[in-house]
Amino acid sequence: MSKIAVLTNDLQYELVHKNPARSAAVESAASNFIAFLDGIRRRGHHVFHLQLIIPPDDPNEERDEHGRLPVQEGTEGAEIVREFVDDPDVVVVKNKDSGFYETDLHEQLQALGVDTVVITGMQTQICVQTTAADAFFRGYKVWVPADCVVSARPEDKERALEWLAGYCATVSDSAEILRLIDELGELPRKTVKIP
Amino acid sequence: MSRTEISSREIVLDHGSGATLSHELISLIVETLGDVYVGEMEDSATLPVTGGRIAMTTDSFVVDPPFFGNGDIGKIAVCGTVNDLAVVGARPTYLTLGMILETGFPVEKLVRVLTSIRDTAREAGVLIVCGDTKVVRKGEADQIYLNTTGVGTFSRNPLRMRDVRPGDRVVLSGPIGNHTVHLLSIREGLGFETRVLSDCAPLNGMLEQVFVNVPEGAVRSVRDVTRGGLSAVLHEYASSGGRTIRIEEAALPVQPETAMAMDMLGTNAIHAANEGCACLFVAPEAEADVLAALRSHRYGAGAVTIGEVTGEAGGSVVMRGADGRWSTVEEMQGAELPRLC
Repeated sequence: MSKIAVLTNDLQYELVHKNPARSAAVESAASNFIAFLDGIRRRGHHVFHLQLIIPPDDPNEERDEHGRLPVQEGTEGAEIVREFVDDPDVVVVKNKDSGFYETDLHEQLQALGVDTVVITGMQTQICVQTTAADAFFRGYKVWVPADCVVSARPEDKERALEWLAGYCATVSDSAEILRLIDELGELPRKTVKIP
Repeated sequence: MSRTEISSREIVLDHGSGATLSHELISLIVETLGDVYVGEMEDSATLPVTGGRIAMTTDSFVVDPPFFGNGDIGKIAVCGTVNDLAVVGARPTYLTLGMILETGFPVEKLVRVLTSIRDTAREAGVLIVCGDTKVVRKGEADQIYLNTTGVGTFSRNPLRMRDVRPGDRVVLSGPIGNHTVHLLSIREGLGFETRVLSDCAPLNGMLEQVFVNVPEGAVRSVRDVTRGGLSAVLHEYASSGGRTIRIEEAALPVQPETAMAMDMLGTNAIHAANEGCACLFVAPEAEADVLAALRSHRYGAGAVTIGEVTGEAGGSVVMRGADGRWSTVEEMQGAELPRLC
């Protein structure tokens, strides 16, 4: 049977509540999203939370009006929002947009025999896109449930989903993904533009 | 202590003081550069030149990060200046090397940069004839900045933009956009950095191969496609001659992953900086020979004709898209990403 991992991006207190638009977008997705993660766990597949931690000496990161960097290691704001986490889940710390960049995520997925990743979380037009592209280049089957990805601005989400569907991922919804897993035991590979 | 070891593992202010630690650092630099360094530690280098004309150019390099896939700041510092000399038809001969080092920069990384400078200079056939090293306090520079000034000699007439004529073909020596996508990807962790590498390369060998295989004058003019990208080059030529340049979008050499990244970033490869791509303006009767000469060199394997210079007045750049429609290529207004070279 195919092994599947759901990767969540940046579901951290400080990032989710960075502004009201983000908070509202996450809140409106939360119910479906949490149910989807539960469904994945119940079916014996894996949930990985990608936790963004900004290195204190990173010159390229944007500081707030007080000159402070967000999501610093060990702070409450950097923690994954509790409602999305359960015991068997794995947290992988990343420092950049893609969850694979200079992390051991790929090695951990390989050790579990994962061949399919379902990319979720925030924001669709940054971390979801880049993690999906990176996963695609590494040979994973890539799926994105449109109801479990979030952007502060709906137009950004729409454009990012269009890009994902065009290049590297199958865009679906969480109910359809669970239905396919039950029916087929796997999620099919998409035919994509890249030769 | 061997000559290639120095007493500190990091650059300190006294390495720029002119005293003992400076001498130690200079010995390290000279030894690492090896046979490509021919300076004699006088206040000026005195050098033989052939012919009655030389080409000179200078460039500074602040690329962030200083180490990347298929290159580093040292390689770019040699390639950038060598390519500027080669595209005017000169044979790159001499380089100077200026370095500004931030206190705390690891000596091991400096040796990596110097080794890269040495290897690239060897490949390009240029000698480093003099240099300068300054050290600044922490925060006054970002790790390492370089400057190279180059001298080239001529065995043919210099190439000039004003010699481009209506009907000339516009030829690119290779893919565009890769350097920008790679640098941006390793800065931000975009996931493209292992699939798309910088194109940084010395192009003088490739261009010499073209020049010796076609009649003099058949290659009218050449530019290396660096900051501002292909768009900036084409606009420069179009506006200078008042001619419209027409190109075909389908002919543009863009690696699929690069196109994918550009689409994600909401930009176009024609605006992206490169470090190993030349744009040649070529007499139509020499087009096939130029392409053959380029393609026989490893840096020109992907050479293609992308359009032509028309006799139409206006000085604009127009591109036929996949839908067959012509549209004007707008010139970027300062929105380029910083520190790509």
